[in-house]
Amino acid sequence: MAHKIAVVGDKDSVLPFKILGFDVFAASTPQKARETIDSLADKDYGVIYLTEAMAKEIPDTIKRYDAEVQPAIILIPNHKGSLNIGKDRIQDNVEKAVGQNIL
Amino acid sequence: MKKGNIIKVSGPLVMAEAMEHANIQDLCYVGDMRLVGEIIEMRNDVASIQVYEETSGLGPGEPVETTGEALSVELGPGIVSQMFDGIQRPLDTFKAKTDSNFLVRGVNISALDRDKKWAFTATKAVGDQVEAGDIVGTVQETKVIEHRIMVPHGVKGTIKSIENGEFALNDVVYTIETEDGVKEQTLLQRWPVRRGRPFKRKLNPDKPMLTGQRVIDTFFPITKGGAAAVPGPFGAGKTVVQHQIAKFSDVDLVVYVGCGERGNEMTDVLNEFPELIDPNTGESLMERTILIANTSNMPVAAREASIYTGITIAEYFRDMGYSVAIMADSTSRWAEALREMSGRLEEMPGDEGYPAYLGSRIAEYYERAGRTLSIGSEDREGSITAIGAVSPPGGDTSEPVTQNTLRVVKVYWALDSSLAQKRHFPSVNWLTSYSLYLSEVGQFMNEELKQDWSNMVQHAMNILQEESELQEIVRLVGIESLSEKDRITMVIAQSLREDYLQQNAFDDVDTYTSRQKQFLMLDLILSLETEAREAMRLGAYFKEIIDGTEDLRDKIARAKYISEDNLDEISAIKQEIKDKVHDIVAEGGMTQNA
Repeated sequence: MAHKIAVVGDKDSVLPFKILGFDVFAASTPQKARETIDSLADKDYGVIYLTEAMAKEIPDTIKRYDAEVQPAIILIPNHKGSLNIGKDRIQDNVEKAVGQNIL
Repeated sequence: MKKGNIIKVSGPLVMAEAMEHANIQDLCYVGDMRLVGEIIEMRNDVASIQVYEETSGLGPGEPVETTGEALSVELGPGIVSQMFDGIQRPLDTFKAKTDSNFLVRGVNISALDRDKKWAFTATKAVGDQVEAGDIVGTVQETKVIEHRIMVPHGVKGTIKSIENGEFALNDVVYTIETEDGVKEQTLLQRWPVRRGRPFKRKLNPDKPMLTGQRVIDTFFPITKGGAAAVPGPFGAGKTVVQHQIAKFSDVDLVVYVGCGERGNEMTDVLNEFPELIDPNTGESLMERTILIANTSNMPVAAREASIYTGITIAEYFRDMGYSVAIMADSTSRWAEALREMSGRLEEMPGDEGYPAYLGSRIAEYYERAGRTLSIGSEDREGSITAIGAVSPPGGDTSEPVTQNTLRVVKVYWALDSSLAQKRHFPSVNWLTSYSLYLSEVGQFMNEELKQDWSNMVQHAMNILQEESELQEIVRLVGIESLSEKDRITMVIAQSLREDYLQQNAFDDVDTYTSRQKQFLMLDLILSLETEAREAMRLGAYFKEIIDGTEDLRDKIARAKYISEDNLDEISAIKQEIKDKVHDIVAEGGMTQNA
């Protein structure tokens, strides 16, 4: 089953993804981002890329989809650089899965 | 009178020869001490007698005299508020006469006070046609019980004389001209305990008996005229459940049979009941209670009789048109008494040593419960609700007494020791208990409350059942793995369990919950669920709802302590839930999605 990919974040960071054919949703406020993600989750989106800067503001929303199979929320850096949240999350998950930090 | 001779004594069982003139179920006087006994088996001229008093010191050669009468109870004014032993000897008179705290043997006391005068008011006049079961007059026995004097069984004719006035039990109060001459009648009747009193017709029991206990009234209701069993291991609260029902059920009269349990349980009743006020009449509970005590240190054979004594008294009041509840605590001790006698009679044992006829004896007892039309020309409706505690050894309900009881009763309140250990009282397990009266009671309540009560109950039960399934998953992989929808279910189920099903019998307010309050409380919890689910649909997160309603859920938990006079407070909380949940949704800014 095919799923769509969405990108959510501040306008400047997400716009380039449009070239790749992703659905792009600009969110200026955390509130807006949360609404967007919740509504995307209800639709047929399998992967949602979210900028780290925005993710920092809405931890509850991220946590909510942690246990769900889809959508997978992947954190990406924005145009200002990485905050390392995304990488930390991956490290945490790996540690949880294999028992030690192998990265 | 011809006398027989004792040839064998074995505990409460005495065998006597030269008894060919006696019949089975005759009452006998055994030995020089004249102990009371009943013939339970005849072989040629040898009678086996179960003796209702202690038999030590009895020996072969002593005389046995039969009275030729069956074991009977005396029925008449003076019976209410009394405490009797298993063969209807009043215990306070017993104490006054023997000056002993324990049963002294060979004492002959009449069950009812012969000297006391009762004010009789005739309701029939000279010349009226009456038949058995018709009420000829009344005696105000206690503040709440009007003792209706009925024409005894087998008497039919015209009243020849009747008058108002003060009468003692043995005085002639009225005379009836029958086909076989004039019959003088007193206030007193006798009835053999092992024979059910006749009635015209049994009716379908479809009116609920309100007990004031939420788990019982809401989920496992009993009807007036129904039968229920309360099995449970030690310490699960059988006695408290029985006491609570005896205290608060909306019946006219309660017969409490303390059968083979500890003496202090009867002491509790004696201490508490006179002080407690019946919510239905406003008078002391003792005014409508009859106690029958055969505690564990009293003779075993009388335990067997106590149940029958109790139900015969209950039937007498049922025939007057009252609704009566009879509690037996515990029928297991009674079955054990049967087993002991059966063993001594050397009968072939059945399951676990119980006699093969255990099932039919238990059925016989519970079948005497029911909602009936009385005999006579007046068609009075009365009911007996029988509630029996069962104490299965080790809490294992697959034993014969529980199983045989479940075959005949339609309500099963399974008390659970694991709930009791968690201090969840009353520890009625909502997954294993059942009531086959649920649909009748549901209909009645829908009409009574003008609300969709039965669907609310069904929905609440579904939540509780769903919780137990989810509980399995949580145990394996943790609460985090549940979806938010399921977590709401868990929260609501927890609220149902802790705020609704748990009820403190020792709290002045919580001990009794009226129908209206039960509805409001259940509605409160279910409205929290509806609101929470709606908020979630509008985009609020589980965590937000839970954090936002913390105070409210606290208020719901305290709703049970709101007194019956301030039920508006519960409705106010309901409104508060609505407002609060709307705020939560608004804060999340999700309202535009709706």
